[in-house]
Amino acid sequence: MTGGSAGEDGSTVEAAGGTPVLRVENIVKRFVTDSATVTAVDHVSFTVAQGEVLSIIGPSGCGKSTLFNVIGGLAEADEGRVVVEGRLMSGPDPAIGMVFQEESTFPWRTVGDNVAFALEVAGMARAERTKRVRHYLELVGLKGFEQHHPAQLSGGMRQRVAIARTLAFGPKVLLMDEPFAALDEQTRLLLGDKVLQIQQELAQTTLLITHSIAEAVQLSDRVLVMTYRPGRVKRIVDIKLPRPRTAEIIGSKDFGLYVAEIWSDLRGEASLGMKDAEAHLPQAE
Amino acid sequence: MTSGCPALGVGLLRLAILGTILLLWEALARSGLLFRDVVPSLAKIALALGHLGTDPDFYRNLRGTAAEVGVSLAIGGSIGVAAGLLLGGSRLLGKAFEPYIHYLGPTPKIIFFPVMIMWFGIGPGSKIAMGALSCFFPVALITAAGMRQIDEVLIRVGRSFRARPWQMATKIYFPAMRYPLLNGLRLGFGVAVIGVLLAETKMSNQGLGFMVMQSYSQFDMPGMYALLLVVFALAILVNATISRLGGLDSTQH
Ligand SMILES: Nc1ncnc2c1ncn2[C@@H]1O[C@H](COP(=O)(O)OP(=O)(O)O)[C@@H](O)[C@H]1O
Ligand SMILES: [Mg+2]
Repeated sequence: MTGGSAGEDGSTVEAAGGTPVLRVENIVKRFVTDSATVTAVDHVSFTVAQGEVLSIIGPSGCGKSTLFNVIGGLAEADEGRVVVEGRLMSGPDPAIGMVFQEESTFPWRTVGDNVAFALEVAGMARAERTKRVRHYLELVGLKGFEQHHPAQLSGGMRQRVAIARTLAFGPKVLLMDEPFAALDEQTRLLLGDKVLQIQQELAQTTLLITHSIAEAVQLSDRVLVMTYRPGRVKRIVDIKLPRPRTAEIIGSKDFGLYVAEIWSDLRGEASLGMKDAEAHLPQAE
Repeated sequence: MTSGCPALGVGLLRLAILGTILLLWEALARSGLLFRDVVPSLAKIALALGHLGTDPDFYRNLRGTAAEVGVSLAIGGSIGVAAGLLLGGSRLLGKAFEPYIHYLGPTPKIIFFPVMIMWFGIGPGSKIAMGALSCFFPVALITAAGMRQIDEVLIRVGRSFRARPWQMATKIYFPAMRYPLLNGLRLGFGVAVIGVLLAETKMSNQGLGFMVMQSYSQFDMPGMYALLLVVFALAILVNATISRLGGLDSTQH
């Protein structure tokens, strides 16, 4: 049941099938503070194939967001490189579309204008922009909300606006950092279904960062488990569940087995993270 | 002020407060307790207001003061916004300069007036300088604070979509800062008016402040109060207009 070989030695982990669209090679990122140097990401390598969903899972503080920022070009790696379709990335690039963990819609723009943002920045003509905005709003199920302001929507709807905004300029790779983290359980499940449906429709190559095991198993072709500090690749698990991933599959025995397997990998790392957090408690600001 | 019924109640209460003040004023005026015309009757003030309305001198001075306030707001405000953006955008500059602005901000600017007279003369120049100087500090501080309040993730969104610096400014920084900027403008306007009028009352040959001092020295109390009322009304009008500019009352955000 276990998938691709991966090790803490930092060897490149190839995508299961198809040509890799995204190649992440030996990324190292350190933070130098007054008191210490923290290696947040330590020689992380993996690839994501065309149309594939790869999830990265790991305990809080293991370096997921750091990796997200490096791959998206918002932070510079100390070592390693990111390649999309053979092109070396340096800084933010239209080939990679980011969706952030935090609330990230522009409150002063209407839903439609939010989705148009990247197109506007790129200088696309208004008529073409309007067409695209309409298409992607429909895709995320927000048809008819173009003229609303984000404040008039629920958290889940706002996150869909953010996803539509990123998809609208057609990135090769959709890169999301815990996009459902701020939402309640039911909204999270519904939005997960929606993202899955969109991903299948567009055959969108997706890299999803999450801390929910069930979410990772439900949405992914492969799940990459990270170690806690320094953040390394612990293991990559192939999820060989049939698609579409309906409610029945989520309730199935195989689904449970995948969750259990990943949890057994993650548990040691998570408890390390918890101990670390507790040890730092007295000095907390 | 949003729902119907309490709004009506509050409105009535406000009217009642105003009515009470006017009544007390009139009672004091008629009591004869105070020296003649220190508190003139409402009728006298109304009459003086009527005179002002037909006095071409008043309009000339009003235009003069308005122009001085406008120019000082434009100069002090734009330099203030620019300085605020620099201070808010750079941690080093912010740390280096902000203590000065912070402590100079609340000092009465009128102490610089003699210097301004020497530099810019007794005419509008020194009044504009006073207004601009007064307005610079609050605008700079509020802009810097507003810049730091911007939700950091919105800036990352802009960068991830490769917005150029100009696009970052017009599509993210300025709209994200609209409420602090508007508040800064409002505060800046208030202190610019104070700076200009105060300077006019000290040493000048035109403007509303000059007219107030003239009425005072001629012991034309009704005329003086009429002028003060006009200044009040104008200040309220401009403040309300600036608030409307934002579409919403900025105190709500
Ligand atoms: N700007 C920074 N400066 C110093 N340390 C940082 C910075 N950003 C992240 N870190 C540290 O790097 C580690 C990984 O953080 P992060 O990538 O946010 O983890 P995650 O997203 O998995 O919760 C943490 O220990 C965090 O304290
Ligand atoms: Mg994170």
